[in-house]
Amino acid sequence: MKKMWSCRIILFTFLLTVFEQQVASTQDQCLVCHEAIEDKNAALFKGDVHFANGLTCASCHGGDATKEDAEESMSKNAGFMGVPSGNAISSVCSNCHSSATVMVKKYNSLLPLDQMSSLTSSVHGESSTKGGQRIAQCTSCHGAHGIVSKNNRSSSVHPLNVPATCAKCHSSAQYLRDYNPALPVDQLDKYRTSVHGKQNAKGDASVAECASCHGSHDILPAADVRSRVYATTLPKTCGSCHSNTNLMRKYALPSDQLEKYSRSVHGIALLEKKDLGAPACNDCHGNHGAVPPGVESISRVCGTCHALNAELFSASPHKKAFDQRKLPECETCHSHHDVVAATDKLLGVGKGAVCAWCHTPEKAPKGFEVARTMRLLVDSLQASENHAVLRVEEAEQKGMEVGEARFKLREIRQARLESRTNVHSFNESQFREVAERGLAVSTVVSEEATQAIDQYYFRRWGLLIASLIITSLAISLYAFIRRIEKQQASRARS
Amino acid sequence: MKNRINTLYKWIDDRVHLRDLVEFMGKKYVPIHEHSIWYYFGGVSLFLFIIQVVTGILLLLYYKGSEELAFESIQFIMSKVEFGWLIRSIHSWAANLFVGAAVIHMFSVYFTKAYRKPREITWLTGMFMLFLGMGFGFSGYLLPWNELAFFATKVGTDIPVIGKPIMILMRGGEDVTGATLSRMFGFHVAIFPGLFVLFLSIHLLLVQRQGMSEPIEFEDSPPDGSQRTMPFFPNFLLRDLLLWLLILNVLAVLAVLFPWELGQKADLFASAPVGIKPEWYFLFMFQTLKYIPAQVFFIDGEVLGVLLFGFAGLLWMIVPFWDRKSSAGQQNRLVNYVGIFVVLYILLFTILGYIA
Amino acid sequence: MNDTVATGNDQGKRDFLKYALGGTLLAWVVSVVYPLIAYLKPPKQAEVEVSSVKVGKIVDIPKDSGQIVKFGTKPVILVRKADGELRAFSATCTHLDCTVQFRSDMEVIWCACHNGKYDLNGRNISGPPPRPLEEFRVMVQNDDVIISKNV
Repeated sequence: MKKMWSCRIILFTFLLTVFEQQVASTQDQCLVCHEAIEDKNAALFKGDVHFANGLTCASCHGGDATKEDAEESMSKNAGFMGVPSGNAISSVCSNCHSSATVMVKKYNSLLPLDQMSSLTSSVHGESSTKGGQRIAQCTSCHGAHGIVSKNNRSSSVHPLNVPATCAKCHSSAQYLRDYNPALPVDQLDKYRTSVHGKQNAKGDASVAECASCHGSHDILPAADVRSRVYATTLPKTCGSCHSNTNLMRKYALPSDQLEKYSRSVHGIALLEKKDLGAPACNDCHGNHGAVPPGVESISRVCGTCHALNAELFSASPHKKAFDQRKLPECETCHSHHDVVAATDKLLGVGKGAVCAWCHTPEKAPKGFEVARTMRLLVDSLQASENHAVLRVEEAEQKGMEVGEARFKLREIRQARLESRTNVHSFNESQFREVAERGLAVSTVVSEEATQAIDQYYFRRWGLLIASLIITSLAISLYAFIRRIEKQQASRARS
Repeated sequence: MKNRINTLYKWIDDRVHLRDLVEFMGKKYVPIHEHSIWYYFGGVSLFLFIIQVVTGILLLLYYKGSEELAFESIQFIMSKVEFGWLIRSIHSWAANLFVGAAVIHMFSVYFTKAYRKPREITWLTGMFMLFLGMGFGFSGYLLPWNELAFFATKVGTDIPVIGKPIMILMRGGEDVTGATLSRMFGFHVAIFPGLFVLFLSIHLLLVQRQGMSEPIEFEDSPPDGSQRTMPFFPNFLLRDLLLWLLILNVLAVLAVLFPWELGQKADLFASAPVGIKPEWYFLFMFQTLKYIPAQVFFIDGEVLGVLLFGFAGLLWMIVPFWDRKSSAGQQNRLVNYVGIFVVLYILLFTILGYIA
Repeated sequence: MNDTVATGNDQGKRDFLKYALGGTLLAWVVSVVYPLIAYLKPPKQAEVEVSSVKVGKIVDIPKDSGQIVKFGTKPVILVRKADGELRAFSATCTHLDCTVQFRSDMEVIWCACHNGKYDLNGRNISGPPPRPLEEFRVMVQNDDVIISKNV
């Protein structure tokens, strides 16, 4: 089947070539001679989309294509410029491709007109080491004489060919060292290991290749906020295919990942709080080597950030149990794209808790009991922290100085957070140790805050008592003065 | 018990002749009339000054007058030292009540023309003490080294006319820094108290020596009992004590229910917060300077304002010397009008200062 | 005052007044003197702490160690590197506000809550912390190590 197709294409091309030759030979003298001297480029150009649209060699190289004499046709006076180099290459292309009059009016083309300006402002538009010139010109990707539509399988920018085209430079360590020594050169290798890369190699043109994520003419470094692969933009870029229900149906994949992710603790951190430390799609799935993490590697993937939790989990009895039952490690309890901030609700045996899914009181009474105890501890820690905070706030509201207690509040919080991490050891005594440390501190804080509140009332009572004393002293003194004056008056009368 | 006290009294009396003092005080009489109430304000000012001395000395035990420690040491006093909050709050409240009582005392003396001959020196020492009291307030205001005080001092020491040399003298440098704090601390606890005690001794000595002044209209009536008096000791003194007790209670109430705020520590590089106002007794001057246009004829507006206040203050201080009518025992309505004008002016501009 | 002639009733009243005056005077003296004595009693923490904190003598701080110093109401971590250099950072983890600690085995500042790690320049290098730690200034004056706010 495939063979037959290629035969047909060859036949068709051959016929076309013969036909074209007859028409063109009368017009394009350049081609006539260059074919005669078996110039490879001349042969290639005859398959070029520009040739098909009536462009001649002179359209790009200058000179007079109607003159048979080489001296005349390739004279400077006729505008011959030879082989353009550097930025001159792209400006020859943009003479037509950036001009609406040529592209739209003359050729009725729907190609975008901003390719040249996109290239100029892209990372490839920066100066090359050769100085003055752009790193990439149009021909770097599109080729020069055999240019065909990107939908043509033989085009260097056809989706199936893009990875190889980009790799010409990007897999060359020697070449890339001059521009960005830190940039890896194994993207193509990684890509070939990814689901995208494998499908692409199989000839599936609708899976992602380089340009699907990075863009084409307007490629920017990943660290550039305008880039399609900048952390906060990346989920949308992935979603442009993965949220497309029709496309995903083809691969029997769900299309709600982006929606779930946006609601997740990671999505909220990255997309709403703009916390660039939060993971985007690539942080779990890999960039170029994107595949879904395997069941056993999930804890490794999550563990790159949630290291302690992963470490504790791996050392816990759950590790073996999960592996035997082929349960994905973190995901089983926390779910994946829609992972929400873990709350104490997950722990225990009550409503909303996950432990009792396996540890039913009948089948696994020991685990059931441990889960219940842990939840009790975590709840009492939370409650005593709340109580301590309330006491401290009350004391502050009363204008008392409780900076010391406020400082210690941090310790309770720390113990609570540590205890939550320690849940993943699934070891009651280890967990209890941390939780009880927090409980002890919260007792101290509550006491200190209570003392401050007592001090507040002590001041008021003290004032009341002092006022009473002063008032009665004042009254006595007043009576005393009255008596003296009465005596003085009676003495004066007598 | 009674005998023992009598023995002790006798023992001291043998040596220092207390009897003379008691007799002297016993012979001293305080006139009773419709304006008698004003006699108490001198005593109240004295009592508040004593409170300031006592609480001030107590604060000195823990206060540290340096840029790094000033704010923290007051925080320490307020939170760690037992009853430190009380001492500091009382010191702050009593400072304000002191200036208030002294101002009332001054105006009462002014309107009853008690400054007239022979009490010119008493008046002058009193005025000096009032100025010193304001100096106490101004220098003490900076000592907690909080944001508000810092900027108020910055504005307050930046006075035109007397100009740069004085500013540098007050700030201890070009700008308000830790050096200013040490300087203000020195003024507050050593220089001002020394001067104040000197004036206070003269002032009290003269009051005891010359007795209370009476309004002119009472002076003419013969001392045949138709004019009522009360002995200074014990009657007036006990009444004084009674009032002092009540003032002490007021102070305690203020200190407990409205503890003096400490605010934020001064940051030399921070921009000035909004609504910086000097202490209330400087507010009318502060407000006036705001209303004077930047340029009056060829004089800078602020310079003019400061010159006017200086001149007015000087005139006020030397009132015993230009008010010859009162000294001659005649009514002088002009003095009353001037006084009423000044009172109304200060009230108006203080209120404006608060509203603004 | 004993020489005044008075009726028995008056006498009783007078005695009452005397006791009232004496009693309240005594109570008043107590209520004034008690706070004063309490004020004079040195508090538990004898001296005020400061905005710049004196940590101690440099000779008392071992190389390759870290310690938490209370700076006002916030903790600061003082690290002495193996080469003797002193660095101080806010000890509040930028992730969820836990208090960080120095780990000489890993040569990092480490947060126990979620295994966040910062290098000895305060930069977040691994784990969940989103931002570096705020740096404080360390000065050595006459062998005294002093930490102050970085302005």
